[in-house]
Amino acid sequence: MSKLKLASYWAAACGGCDVATLDIHEKIVDVAAVADIVFWPIAVDFKYADVEGYEDGFIDVCLFHGAIRNSEGEHIAKLLRKKSKVMVAFGSCAISGGIPGLANFKQKDDIFYRVYIESQSTQNPQKVYPQTHYAVPEGVLDLPEFYKDVKSLSDVVDVDYYMPGCPPTSAQIWAVIGVIASGALPPKGAFVGCENQTLCNTCTRAKTDKKVKKFYQPYQIITDPEKCLLEQGLTCMGPVTRAGCSNQCISANHPCTGCYGPVEGVIDQGAKYISALASVVDADSPDEADRIISEIADPAGLFYRYGLPGSLLRRAK
Amino acid sequence: MQRISIDPITRLEGHGKIEIFLNDAGGVENCYFQIPELRGFEKFCEGRPADQVPQIVSRICGV
Ligand code: SF4
Ligand code: SF4
Ligand code: SF4
Repeated sequence: MSKLKLASYWAAACGGCDVATLDIHEKIVDVAAVADIVFWPIAVDFKYADVEGYEDGFIDVCLFHGAIRNSEGEHIAKLLRKKSKVMVAFGSCAISGGIPGLANFKQKDDIFYRVYIESQSTQNPQKVYPQTHYAVPEGVLDLPEFYKDVKSLSDVVDVDYYMPGCPPTSAQIWAVIGVIASGALPPKGAFVGCENQTLCNTCTRAKTDKKVKKFYQPYQIITDPEKCLLEQGLTCMGPVTRAGCSNQCISANHPCTGCYGPVEGVIDQGAKYISALASVVDADSPDEADRIISEIADPAGLFYRYGLPGSLLRRAK
Repeated sequence: MQRISIDPITRLEGHGKIEIFLNDAGGVENCYFQIPELRGFEKFCEGRPADQVPQIVSRICGV
């Protein structure tokens, strides 16, 4: 059997998904035994022109990290889609916008002003903004267009599989590479490298159906390591988050912030979480419930931490 | 004038592109380094609770 051809790319990403992949350590040598890397900017020196030169469908599997933030991200996503048999949205940025998707709480003009004019480390007295085309004496330089909104990968191309996490754990990445190498691919559209149940279902902390009278920020209380964090007043996203990360945060005594995204069938993790919270709040009146809920700092930023562009809201006005 | 594009630059975190212009003698006339990316952490961290910011900005660079 000929070796698999693998590509990996980052659009608006942090590189954490790449590093999680490299964190399979010496097993990367086993990957090299079954697959040839044909594009992977963080690790290997292929250029866009190389990818353009490949025949359509030349790449067997493309692991695509990052949100679509600008025209270059969209252009390369479309190029890699054309050149790849299988496209995987890898990590929460690609699936639903991820952390870069928090920019949909802001406006493009305000982002530009903050970054290129106002920021304390910027010196730009002529107030120059990046231009998509800029004439220099030797020719014209091009920069991508920064979009008004952050998009997910599936907003711009057809996606075959989704691998959640910010980043996905290395153990899950290794397991998924095994599935890819075996050729026994799941049905199109499947979420891979995760479980089809909530994090709460896999959590061993004691739950007592205790209701919450007050919410806290993690630094405000010392939690009991044996008991459910939500019942102790921390906004743990476990009830609405897909399991599969080996419960990393809750094992470290920190509430889940939801990076594995919503469980199957839920399209809006934040809205689902609001309804989950409603069932744990201990209030005698709607006013009291309002008061208790209003103590949660930045609920939108927390409940849509990894998925504002992919949610029903998509952006704040 | 001959133009050499190094796109993308590789084996680092982030996006970058280098445009090199050669003169008729084959020497470098000028060279431009471009960063074709922005996510805007400077702006979207505004309004987030201070204790959450380290978790958010750890995604500036995961390398
Ligand atoms: S999903 Fe998380 S780890 Fe992966 S690129 Fe996005 S911010 Fe980085
Ligand atoms: S809310 Fe969090 S701490 Fe409580 S059971 Fe669910 S995952 Fe565990
Ligand atoms: S506990 Fe939640 S936030 Fe932490 S890694 Fe798992 S899914 Fe992500």
